[in-house]
Amino acid sequence: MKRNKRIAFFAGLLALMLILAGCGGSSNGKNGNGGNSGNTSGNTAPSGDKVKISVWAMGDEAKSLPTVAEEFMKEHPNIVVDVQALPWSNAHDKLLTAVASKSGPDVVQMGTTWMAEFASAGALKDLTPYVDQYPEFASDQFYEGAVGTTKFGDKIYGIPWYTETRFLYYRSDLLAEAGYPEAPKTWEELRDAAKKLADRGEGKYGLSIDMNEQSLTFMFARQNGSALLGEDGKPLFNQPEFKEAVEYLKGFFEDGSAPLDLGLDTVQGFAGEGIVPMFISGPWMINAIQSQAPDLEGKWAVAPLPAKKNNMSVLGGSNLAVFEYTKHPEEALAFIQYMSKKETQMKWNELTKSLPSNIAAWEAPLLKEDPKYQAIQEQLRHSEHMPMLVQWEKIAQTYLESFERIVRADADIQAELDAFNAKAEQILSE
Amino acid sequence: MKMFTPRSAPWFFIAPALILLFLFSILPILIALVISFTDMDLAGLADYSGIRFVGLDNYMEILRDASFLKAIGNTIFYVAFGVPFVILLSLSVALLINFGKSRVFEIFRAAFYMPSVTNVVAVAVVWSYLYNPSLGLFNTILNAVGLPDVRWLQDPVTAKISLILLALWRAVGLNMLIFLAAIKGIPKSYYEAAELDGAGSWKQILHITIPLLRFAIFFVSVTTLIGWLQFFEEPFVMTDGGPLEGTMSVALFVYKNGFQFSEFGYAAAGSFILFFAIITLTLLQFRLQRRED
Repeated sequence: MKRNKRIAFFAGLLALMLILAGCGGSSNGKNGNGGNSGNTSGNTAPSGDKVKISVWAMGDEAKSLPTVAEEFMKEHPNIVVDVQALPWSNAHDKLLTAVASKSGPDVVQMGTTWMAEFASAGALKDLTPYVDQYPEFASDQFYEGAVGTTKFGDKIYGIPWYTETRFLYYRSDLLAEAGYPEAPKTWEELRDAAKKLADRGEGKYGLSIDMNEQSLTFMFARQNGSALLGEDGKPLFNQPEFKEAVEYLKGFFEDGSAPLDLGLDTVQGFAGEGIVPMFISGPWMINAIQSQAPDLEGKWAVAPLPAKKNNMSVLGGSNLAVFEYTKHPEEALAFIQYMSKKETQMKWNELTKSLPSNIAAWEAPLLKEDPKYQAIQEQLRHSEHMPMLVQWEKIAQTYLESFERIVRADADIQAELDAFNAKAEQILSE
Repeated sequence: MKMFTPRSAPWFFIAPALILLFLFSILPILIALVISFTDMDLAGLADYSGIRFVGLDNYMEILRDASFLKAIGNTIFYVAFGVPFVILLSLSVALLINFGKSRVFEIFRAAFYMPSVTNVVAVAVVWSYLYNPSLGLFNTILNAVGLPDVRWLQDPVTAKISLILLALWRAVGLNMLIFLAAIKGIPKSYYEAAELDGAGSWKQILHITIPLLRFAIFFVSVTTLIGWLQFFEEPFVMTDGGPLEGTMSVALFVYKNGFQFSEFGYAAAGSFILFFAIITLTLLQFRLQRRED
């Protein structure tokens, strides 16, 4: 009798577990079916044989993307585009989940700094065979630097979408008063201008240096002739070229030309009396200044970065990639093809003010007639992306810790860079 | 129908909870334990065949990682100051509110509870303005009375204290409610007897309220200790671990390594060290409590 009860109990428990397991299993089953027969899965719109592709876009771009997707759908009546907006802050987590579950978007926006990581993880489809098939994907359509961000190893994993570069924002009125009718052109001039501006009085500064900006020092080191990584892939972060760049940046803090912990955001410091009248940033700040400080119009300008040996800037932006586990690669590519067309790129620039990666799209009057964009285009020709390494993010983060110790804790620069170089070597060997 | 005998019936009632506990707590812990012995990264996530077992390597490496040791130091700092203050403050607030007979005190109760139910991101926006070095209310007040600026979030030690203040403000409400409920549960007759014997309010608190709150205090100290060992939200939204890793907690370290650098094995090892620290300290607390009883 007793034994029967126990058996009954376990049978009941087993039944419950099966029910629970069944719940989990059924959704897996659906995905499996989708893989086999494509059109029967939830990925397809219910009406007829329309193919539904999902596009993951991040940040503000995602808000404007449906407008463009709308027009794409008019041209391709058999494709339905579903744009999903992810905030940048949790896009990385969301993509990790997609990789782990092997189900996610068809087209995904990839920040250029993420390309190496997700390409090496096998999350992105190898597009090398398609580049020759679609004239829009030809690499001479785009800025060289932008094409570089799509390559990992000797394969191509994305198509440039929009591009970004860093350049100098300055208050033309305040710089003119300080004796600089034009933007500083060399490192020495930048240093001098920043000092003169900081000398305007208590609580005034010259140049803002963002302590959390990963690529800043690497950019300055390149301007000073550092290759960052040697031919053999070994880091060169403790070499004189790199060290001089760090010393140069630290100098701004030492004589009070750059504020530390000001607590004002960039536009707040830039507007009004110009507490911080110069900063280095990307094209997104143009919109921010115009909308948050409209009365500043005419008193500010942008210029290519001042040069040491060169004035190489950092190229960033986003590519469009096809998710490895997509069931509709053709449709996904059609969408990317549409997005990289000159006309779409022009339209996209109008909508979002982001910079077209397609060189021909720079003929748009909006870009052509604006001296700001002309300066940016000049900088774009002298821009290089950060090394395309899976470990780069970690190296850059590690560097920021060293840089913080150098600036805040006054650590010995050479010793700190030696330690950082050793750590970078170790990270690279992993 | 024979299945539902008095003996087996309880099992049916607790089975759903047990199964959920197993699926969503115990199983993930076991999986994390396995991962902590591997070199799993993003590539391993996409293709399991690339994962290698590395034995105790992750543990050896993390215990030599200066950032991790710093995070442990910071977490001890948070716990050492945070836990006693949470208990003291929420108990005092509960006692004071309990004293009040006027309706105003009900408003106070709600006001103290409010931070506990406010979204941490909204809290972070407001508090980072309060702490702002140029525009912040705190520094403005300090300057108004002739005191110099405080580098609230810019100095490694001060930043820890600033985060503790913020966390205290968030934690007091809920614990106060627990204490209030426990206080209300103490029979009035004890106080009446004490009053007849001539004991004042202070003596009553010391000799009746506090001893009878022993279990509530124990509960609050256990949950608070666990919560503070996992200190995460405040540095995550306010400082991201800086300046100079001064506010980096173990939980934030684990998050950063796991989700920023995709080093899942390494992060899992860190989370297991934290897990064991929590288990050990909690068991210790239980043992101490038992001895007192």
